Amino acid sequence: MSETLTIMKRELRAYFLSPIAYVVGSAFLFIGGYQFFKLLFFEYGQTPTASMTGYFAQLPTYFLVLAPALTMRLWSEEKKLGTLELLLTYPIRTRQLVFGKFFAALAFVGILLLLTLGYPITLAYLGELDWGPALSGYVGALLLAGTYMAFGLFASSITRDQIVALIISVVFLGVLEFMAQRGMVWLSPGWVDFLHVISPGQHFNSATRGVIAASDLIHFVVFSGLFLFLNGMVVEMKKKVG
Amino acid sequence: MINIERLVKDYGPVRALQGVTFDVPSGQVLGFLGPNGAGKTTTMKILTGYLYPTSGRVVVNGMDVTEDSIEVRRSVGYLPETNPLYQDMRVDDYLEFVAQVRGLRGRQKKAAIERVVSICGVGTVYKKGILELSKGFRQRVGLAQAMIHDPDILILDEPTSGLDPNQIIEIRDLIRSVGSNRTVILSTHILQEVEATCDRIIIVATGQIVADGTAQELMAQLPAGSLEIEVIGPAESIEKQLAELFVGGSVVRLPDAKESDSGVRFRVQVSTQMDRHAKEAVFDLITGNGWKLLTLHREAASLEAVFRKFTLGEGNGSPAEAAEAEESAESVAVAATSADTSPEERSAEGSSSAPGASEGGE
Repeated sequence: MSETLTIMKRELRAYFLSPIAYVVGSAFLFIGGYQFFKLLFFEYGQTPTASMTGYFAQLPTYFLVLAPALTMRLWSEEKKLGTLELLLTYPIRTRQLVFGKFFAALAFVGILLLLTLGYPITLAYLGELDWGPALSGYVGALLLAGTYMAFGLFASSITRDQIVALIISVVFLGVLEFMAQRGMVWLSPGWVDFLHVISPGQHFNSATRGVIAASDLIHFVVFSGLFLFLNGMVVEMKKKVG
Repeated sequence: MINIERLVKDYGPVRALQGVTFDVPSGQVLGFLGPNGAGKTTTMKILTGYLYPTSGRVVVNGMDVTEDSIEVRRSVGYLPETNPLYQDMRVDDYLEFVAQVRGLRGRQKKAAIERVVSICGVGTVYKKGILELSKGFRQRVGLAQAMIHDPDILILDEPTSGLDPNQIIEIRDLIRSVGSNRTVILSTHILQEVEATCDRIIIVATGQIVADGTAQELMAQLPAGSLEIEVIGPAESIEKQLAELFVGGSVVRLPDAKESDSGVRFRVQVSTQMDRHAKEAVFDLITGNGWKLLTLHREAASLEAVFRKFTLGEGNGSPAEAAEAEESAESVAVAATSADTSPEERSAEGSSSAPGASEGGE
């Protein structure tokens, strides 16, 4: 546990020293903030609603880029710099490394989401905000980012090139979400149901409506768990193959 | 205490280690020599738990590196060849991180960091970013990182590569002082380095041990040294008479030296019987004929020659001399060409070619 925490602390600190984290972080806040106020004051016409729904609806799109951009360097840079060779000779288990890196990325997204709490606070000030869906939406957003980043971390473990990791994640997650949303036109109903079950975005949608169901939590644990597990396998395989 | 038994490592279809067997007793400073790609780094990576062996056993302080990987890693400190460091961190943060990862906390951690900072001399750059450091200081930080938990076993992969001569001497002194109370395995291409720092030398080539012993023991296996002679006089006649003088040795005429006033040059391989009086005999021969002796220089058997002999299968003299070479040299040559024999045979050959294997450690 404390080893996991040590790794997490180092990685979280590395985010605050890395230009990429600042760039994508501030882009997320700027674009999100612009869209939020645009929706609030210009799109809802005469009677703006005190609801986070419009903002939350855009989060999956943002996270599609944000999450892979935050995870892309976590393994690939260790490989490129060669620091992985040292890291793997320290008395830490592979799963502690994987969790340490994953929770660092999750914590960074958590910090970014905390910085957007100004929006619901603004809404509560201007109107009658229903805090239930707003808060469950935030929890859902963190879980959504977590599932995306679990995949992003896995993608980072299979290449020494950050950009390749980024592209793999964006394409995989993008196609998955696109198919779950639009695939019904040309996919059989069975496939559509399946995609709905596995798509992180679909589970997030239900969270923004104010409910975090057990199935959403299970989805988060299974989806993230699967790719974190595969991530650990990749690292262990490398020790065997060389 | 390290026991390595029939260690094999495959990288895909390539067999990097072909059944390496050796023991390192506690407190020994072992030099690992060999050409690039011989398997030095692979052996070290397995010892540190970074790679798993394909087959064979590696036991460190009684623990198997694959089964008790975490425990083995606790007692081993490692400086990889590339000395990878987190470029975005400061030295103090980095050492703090490594100390934490190594399970040190509170006062213990503080003491450990202070200790390696003073041993490795990184106090002056303690607050600097790693990216700003010179190569010499980076190497010191790498060493500090490897020693922060005061490990029983220190594994250093080419610790002085890429350093300038002053830094090399500093790092070498450092290794000698930290090696006084722990086991050190270091690999290098620099032969003076092993002579200067190591109790024992293992030479590997193409994934096998081809020689094992102290520097003196290995050099004793070489044919006696050679003489370089430069003389003014009739070349053919001199060559003939030198050949008569050194029966069993060899005489090679070297290309003429560049200076206009110089004479013809020869290299004479001295056979063991002739060894003690070789210089006298040459001097008498040349002055007796009224020729003028310009240079009479003795080339001692060097570790370079040992290295070349064991890794290239190259003798230090003519074919005639090579045929006369000691038995041990022959068995080494056999070991080097027997890549496809069974591990049993190989280890038997390995030990016969390594007379110093057992004495080296006591």
